[in-house]
Amino acid sequence: MAHVIVNEGLVDEAFISERCDLDEYENWAAFVADPQHSPDVLEAVTRVPAGDLRAAARLYATARNAAIYYGLGVTEHSQGSSTVMAIANLAMATGNIGRPGVGVNPLRGQNNVQGSCDMGSFPHELSGYRHISDTATRQMFEQDWGVVLDPEPGLRIPNMLDAAIDGSFRAIYIQGEDILQSDRDTKNVAAGLAAMDCVIVHDLFLNETASYAHMFLPGSTFLEKDGTFTNPERRIQMVRKVMEPANGLQDWEVTQELARAMGLGWNHAHPSGIMDEIARLTPSFAGVSHARLDAEGSLQWPVNEAAPDGSPIMHVDGFARGPNGKGRGRFVVTDYVPTDEKTGPRFPLLLTTGRILSQYNVGAQTRRTANSVWHAEDVLEMHPQDAENRGLGHGDWVRLASRKGETTLRLDVTERVAPGVVYTTFHHPETQANVVTTEFSDWATNCPEYKVTAVQVTPSNGPSDWQRDYGALSRRARRVVVAGAEPAE
Amino acid sequence: MSAAGTGERLRYMADQIARNFAAMGEDEAIAATAEHIALFWDPRMKAAILADDPAHLSPIAAAAIARLAATRT
Repeated sequence: MAHVIVNEGLVDEAFISERCDLDEYENWAAFVADPQHSPDVLEAVTRVPAGDLRAAARLYATARNAAIYYGLGVTEHSQGSSTVMAIANLAMATGNIGRPGVGVNPLRGQNNVQGSCDMGSFPHELSGYRHISDTATRQMFEQDWGVVLDPEPGLRIPNMLDAAIDGSFRAIYIQGEDILQSDRDTKNVAAGLAAMDCVIVHDLFLNETASYAHMFLPGSTFLEKDGTFTNPERRIQMVRKVMEPANGLQDWEVTQELARAMGLGWNHAHPSGIMDEIARLTPSFAGVSHARLDAEGSLQWPVNEAAPDGSPIMHVDGFARGPNGKGRGRFVVTDYVPTDEKTGPRFPLLLTTGRILSQYNVGAQTRRTANSVWHAEDVLEMHPQDAENRGLGHGDWVRLASRKGETTLRLDVTERVAPGVVYTTFHHPETQANVVTTEFSDWATNCPEYKVTAVQVTPSNGPSDWQRDYGALSRRARRVVVAGAEPAE
Repeated sequence: MSAAGTGERLRYMADQIARNFAAMGEDEAIAATAEHIALFWDPRMKAAILADDPAHLSPIAAAAIARLAATRT
């Protein structure tokens, strides 16, 4: 699309000259204008007809307002970060950013993933997306908390698991996430958890990760706690407790008790005090408080002196890069680097995994509801041609295998998937679709490449060895043993 | 995965970062790869890749690691 927009003169020259770094733009424009990036050349790779791609590029570039919305189908690839940067390039090149009705809008995978990111849940950042190596920011926290902070980044989940297996990462506190079922390459996750000295799982239910927990802390639902959730348009919204938590404590109280038990003097009385601390230490949240959220309903950060009522639109008169958030837009050259996960004679099909409407993620919550009537098990979708070539019929038990592992599930023969591609969900622990997915991940973020796994599908007459072993482990892990009594098998 | 396995993983990660910056041109790609590893890798990962034999790495990744080593001395 960028090739067409640049070569057909559809760029917004006024926006680029006013808002973007011109040298970086020229460099990027020369790169995308190269004939090797034309729709005709790339048709063989993308399978998108060149005419359709040209039409899409012209439509996007010439519309009065054009917005890009994208989901996990963009990010869960080894090139996910490159694609996000390529999307930002397109928006800047056509002036479709920084005003109402346009922009780049990621549709996040969970209700509060935006809030978690905002609060520095990345291993290299403090709240407000400030790198831990930034001395001034770090000192602000050190003075407020009375501690010394390590200026180096921490580990991401896959690297934590590898470090656990190597013996240098020994304990983990997992809150509201079921990494055994949701992360890629389940055997690697299981080996990492099993190698740790202390695994604490804090969740609503005994999820699959809890099978490896040394300690389980019961969580509270959104109806049992106060706080905020932040949605993908940076809108901070109140969450209000409507009933006392059945376990006796809200999640933040459990975490605070754990900190106190480890000798830290945490002494918050209410989440509003935690928000006051966030506002004190995070410039983009400086004007946020529970009192304001109560009075105004919601606020979109940044909320501070420069934007006292919040910021419905980002990048209005500058980009975050540079001093005072008024920098010039940066065009980044993003070449297509194919994944190393390749189909071949042993694994000739491409598996992509995803979610369906009636089940949420690993299903820890939704499998316990009547939604399971709509989706009682994970099934494998396969094109009729591929099914016929393998002598497989609708509803058959099949073995889904990759170089990492195998599982069994029922077949759904459907034209919803293209020939050569199979699709399944990861909602059910009996299937554990991530036994099959690989260690490959995005080059910059290490987001697992859930959308690309080379697989083979063959007839099956029962569960795989992994499923049998895991079923036994799961039953053992959930036994309730009364102190002093003989454990029952 | 054994320590050797983790070593291979880190080499793969460094090479993958370098490949994705390669279109920027060699000098910029080396600088960007070194900066990325400095900003996003945990100290034990940095120590492991710095101690590794650069012959196992692609030329851009090897040059980035050499640059990283030079900034740490």
